[in-house]
Amino acid sequence: MKRLATKLGFYASLFVLVSPAVLVFLWMISLSFKNELDNTAFPPVFIPDPPTLKNYVDVFAQNNFALYLWNSVLVTGGAVLIGLAVGVPAGYGIARGKATKFAILILVARMTPALSYLIPLFLLFQMTGLVGTITALVITHLVITIPIIVWIMIGYFENIPMELEDAARIDGASSWQAFRHVALPLAMPGVTVGGILAFIFSWNNFIFSVVLGGKNSRTLPSAVYNSLTFEQISWGPLAAAALLVTLPVLLVTVLAQRQIVAGLSAGGLKDG
Amino acid sequence: MTTTILPAELAERAQPAPFTHSADFTPRYWLFAAPAVLVVAGVIVFPWLFTLYMSTQDWKIGGGPEFVGLQNFAELFRDTRFIESMGHTLYFTVLAVVLPILFGTAAALVFHREFPFRGVLRTVFVMPMMATPVAVALVWTMMFHPQLGVLNYLLSLVGIGPQNWVYSPDTVIPTLILVEVWHWTPLVMLIVLGGLAGLPREPYESALIDGANDWHMFRHITLPLVWPFIMVAIVIRTIDALKAFDTIFVITQGGPGTASETLNIFLYLQAFQFYKIGYASAVVVIFFVIVIMLSLLLLYARQKSKWNA
Amino acid sequence: MSETILKPTRRALLRGATALGAAGAIGSPLVLRESHAQAAFNWKRFSGTTIDVLLVKNPRSDLMQAAEKEFTELTGIKVSSEQVPEQQQRQKAVIEFASGKPSFDVSGISLHVQKRMAAKGKWFEDLTPFIKDASLTAPEFDFADFGAGPVAYARQADGSLDTIPFFVDYWMVYYNKELFAAKGVEYPKTMDEMATVAAKLHDPAKGIAGFVSRGLKNANVPVWASLLLGQGIETTSTEGKLQTDTPEAVWAGELYKKLNKDSGPAGQVGFNWNECQTSFMQGRAAMWLDGIGFATPLEDPSKSRIVGKVGYGITPPGPKAHHAGMFADGMGISRGSQKKQAAWLYLQFVTNKANQLAMLKAGAGAPGRASAYLDTNTIAQSKFGKQYFDCLLGSAKVARAALPQIVPVTEFRDVFGVALTNALGGADVAAELKKATETFAPVLVKSEQG
Repeated sequence: MKRLATKLGFYASLFVLVSPAVLVFLWMISLSFKNELDNTAFPPVFIPDPPTLKNYVDVFAQNNFALYLWNSVLVTGGAVLIGLAVGVPAGYGIARGKATKFAILILVARMTPALSYLIPLFLLFQMTGLVGTITALVITHLVITIPIIVWIMIGYFENIPMELEDAARIDGASSWQAFRHVALPLAMPGVTVGGILAFIFSWNNFIFSVVLGGKNSRTLPSAVYNSLTFEQISWGPLAAAALLVTLPVLLVTVLAQRQIVAGLSAGGLKDG
Repeated sequence: MTTTILPAELAERAQPAPFTHSADFTPRYWLFAAPAVLVVAGVIVFPWLFTLYMSTQDWKIGGGPEFVGLQNFAELFRDTRFIESMGHTLYFTVLAVVLPILFGTAAALVFHREFPFRGVLRTVFVMPMMATPVAVALVWTMMFHPQLGVLNYLLSLVGIGPQNWVYSPDTVIPTLILVEVWHWTPLVMLIVLGGLAGLPREPYESALIDGANDWHMFRHITLPLVWPFIMVAIVIRTIDALKAFDTIFVITQGGPGTASETLNIFLYLQAFQFYKIGYASAVVVIFFVIVIMLSLLLLYARQKSKWNA
Repeated sequence: MSETILKPTRRALLRGATALGAAGAIGSPLVLRESHAQAAFNWKRFSGTTIDVLLVKNPRSDLMQAAEKEFTELTGIKVSSEQVPEQQQRQKAVIEFASGKPSFDVSGISLHVQKRMAAKGKWFEDLTPFIKDASLTAPEFDFADFGAGPVAYARQADGSLDTIPFFVDYWMVYYNKELFAAKGVEYPKTMDEMATVAAKLHDPAKGIAGFVSRGLKNANVPVWASLLLGQGIETTSTEGKLQTDTPEAVWAGELYKKLNKDSGPAGQVGFNWNECQTSFMQGRAAMWLDGIGFATPLEDPSKSRIVGKVGYGITPPGPKAHHAGMFADGMGISRGSQKKQAAWLYLQFVTNKANQLAMLKAGAGAPGRASAYLDTNTIAQSKFGKQYFDCLLGSAKVARAALPQIVPVTEFRDVFGVALTNALGGADVAAELKKATETFAPVLVKSEQG
């Protein structure tokens, strides 16, 4: 009997823990499939009846949604790829060279609010005429991607025993070859984790694009904030757009949840 | 994969080389970091230095800089709005640290057990921290609407009267903390879960033999062992709570009035609504000092977690 | 609305047009699409060019975007435009103009917020040479048709005209006739009476507020400033001195507090015009004080629950004066643009007689042109009834600028907005206004030096 009670208590607490997450997402979905009058009805209408796709059609028809999506792909993709190209070797160099000071610098960079980079970078882009370009956004997003990738890679390279590389070196491999053919393949899980987390944090960032993005370079999150917001009572399209923006990230989370859990318990840091 | 290794410990954890590294090997590792050094110097260190320079200037967007020394800082500490924003930040930070730590630790204990669909449920639980903050903030805003929001309806079902949520100066910060808790409890859960995964079995076995109950085992065995991880989580939460911007900005923009104007929002308004570059830079500098101090604390906490583990 | 189309009398319209300063441009009814009929003027000179346009998100910009196709057919110029919500658009304008290379050739601005800033930052090109150049300006554009009031409002201190004042907004009171009838109350005759009427209509148990207006900081300042006009003064004197802590300003602040706190909806401190509009459209507010340019969705059955029940009232007189708070938007050509002439063709087109009339007809606000008000036939077909047009023209007659013509308008609105929000939270109005005035005074002095 007592065991049953314990079990019930356990499942009750599990329910309490998981339901807020579920409810918010379900409400988002519900809003996005209802018409305007139902969305602002009180008491609220929970199940869309009949469900309408109009909100989604509106989002695509009234906004350059496809363009913003493409911009997000370019900005996040560019920042993650450059971040990996630069950050993975750096992680290796720092781990093997025991460059503690540089590691601390990266840590502080990781901790600094993204917002504080905005003013100097804005002035810099203003001087160079880059305000409103994709290039400017890719550069600012490096502020997000590089520290997280370097940070995670240091940890992974740390855990790869030195002996294998040393053996390769004795066989005449250069240090680049030892990195490329010995250490890197072993650290591939770290590259995946770093890449995924950098992708998510860069995708989710919006304030850089709100300030620095132009009409043709705006990313998806800032477009949702910037061109939809609460004009009139367009809750339906707003919810639809919000869902579309966060969908890629949620899909990645579901598909790569194992890596994300590993990476976050290891890196333990989010971006801001 | 040993996931609890934290990079900052690398200097200490690095295995002593099994045989002598000739001295000329070591400098070459720097070459691997060289591109990153360049990029970091350009997009991270340069902005820091530039901000420091700007904080000593009277500079508005569209105009030019004019040196004013420390006047911006002096003015800041006379600016009641700045002082108030520090207060709001403190209030927000304390609750946005304590609550996720409590819930996150509890959640970690739950998810540490074996039960059906654990993987799926854990993914669902982690989703809020991955979701795009702007998107989620917009949905919360709709839910908080005092007349038409779903939350007031749900409250009315259990007999609680309508709340004003973010539409009242008294409840705005607790409401924003609700969002913050929803968002970031999963992160605490993951960190503590990582700690639980590495716990030894023996103390529990001997305690069971001694007839200890669940609470005793938690209080006297589990908690001391995972405490270092909780410490890490506390410091990380503190820094993240200080940095909180996206959701506050989208939901309230610091309002009503200035009731939820935190340092970050104050900074943004000064820079991009009033276009006072110099003044805003001074805020960044103060912010930066706080962050560095907390980062050092984090390093210290990680050291501790290594010693105790 | 039960589609009873009430025709505004021609005389009322003429009066209104005169009030707008129509300088004898009263002539034969407009011929729509007259631009096509003109062969003499070469619209195709810049065919193949693409221009970028930055618009504020509102019903007027919807109309402009809808007219783009026709413009491209006429000129061969392609238009790439986007609508950005007001607050973000204002920020974007500052940032992009400061960069010297704005990404748009044409931009709209709120004259009541950014006029002085635009002059100081040299955002826009002076349009006077374009208007005078017969090779660039079609004869039917007829600049003299624009009301003297709006043109004077747009003209900068140095005499240049850097924007075309295409839209004027008057503050008035939307009211729900059904709720008024149910309680048997009449539309208030004075500002003070507004408060007593609102109290009678207020019924929180049914979820109905007697009055709604903006409570959100920054957005709420025009409400207070409009009430202040009832005392016959503005927030600054003609010499540019702040009058924000005078007994008159405190009176307006107290009235603002009374209206919103005692008979407003819960949570109104977070309301901008769109929340007010939603509440009103849902039939949950009896009165709504705001700009007449926000009327469009009220008579749209897919959005509004009160179609046909909306009353449009002129802002009631205050103790000393009767004014309607006036705001205006202008459109100009970026000084940094490489396509100024093509941009001018666009500007001419979107502010031509037909498009200005379309704006009036759609309930999207008061056009800057006088001729729009003279086309009784088109107006008669509008789904907005006689009362709407009477209110519009009546407001025009008593219009007065409500916001100060200073550079840091955003900061002004922010500082006093906080004071008003605090007042709604229970703080003492006089003390809050005094504090805000002390905070803002040095900012104003500094902005006038720079």
